[in-house]
Amino acid sequence: MQFNSNDSGSSLQSEINITPLVDVVLVLLIIFMVVVPLLMDGYDVDIPRASADKSAQVAESQLILSIGSATCPILTPPAGEGIPKNCQVTLADQKIPVAELPTRVATILGGRPPEQRALFLAVDDHLNYEAVLRIIDLAKSGVEDLKIEFVAAN
Amino acid sequence: MQAAINITPLVDVVLVLLIIFMVMAPQMRKGPDVNLPNTTKPNSQGDERGRILVSIDDSGGLWINDQAVAAERFDEALRAAVGAEPNPKIVIRGDAKLNFREVREVMVAIEQAGFRGVGLIAKRTGAEGK
Repeated sequence: MQFNSNDSGSSLQSEINITPLVDVVLVLLIIFMVVVPLLMDGYDVDIPRASADKSAQVAESQLILSIGSATCPILTPPAGEGIPKNCQVTLADQKIPVAELPTRVATILGGRPPEQRALFLAVDDHLNYEAVLRIIDLAKSGVEDLKIEFVAAN
Repeated sequence: MQAAINITPLVDVVLVLLIIFMVMAPQMRKGPDVNLPNTTKPNSQGDERGRILVSIDDSGGLWINDQAVAAERFDEALRAAVGAEPNPKIVIRGDAKLNFREVREVMVAIEQAGFRGVGLIAKRTGAEGK
């Protein structure tokens, strides 16, 4: 009487061993799961020296974007995406609807060499912070390598 | 005779580790919970480790990394957080509900402590997480 209890008892193993593969993939998964939530997105901005002489800084080529709470009354976080249509901003002393911002900034700064592409922002204190970041986002969408610097609003 | 290694315990252990990390990862974030502003195309600001995180919560409270800091002690605490770091990167995590004034005051304080550039942290629209 013979029991052949193991049909696959031959010395040949036809299946690929997936254990190391599973191992490596799971470790990679864990690494990405730990690292990804720690990555941040945002905008680099410059802060002017509060002590510096304001009049000395003003140069002919400075492009100033003013956002006032009278013409752009966003005092609470804007709902949904984008910026409410009733927002008007002042770019280089011209009042424009905020939707035109990318094209206007691109026309003015697009021709300059990248290191001179700077936008100076004068923002009203009462404006909502999220709205300000969305306007920065919009202004940056027209040109590459745009530098943002805050100046005092008057 | 069984030729294949039994991988069940291995998978078991790895899945448990996976679950542990899934639960722990959100709590490893430094600072308070801040409802970050949503924007469409924020640039990468890198990994939050190695950055100095200045958080402003929805009531205007200031935090440096994990510590709540009183406004009048902000300068001192920021310098302590920077330490001897030659080229520190400072980022501001401001709540979406804030006025620009509260963020500007923090930027002025950061400038007075001797730093010129900061990153304003936002959340890509539609992205998960805090």
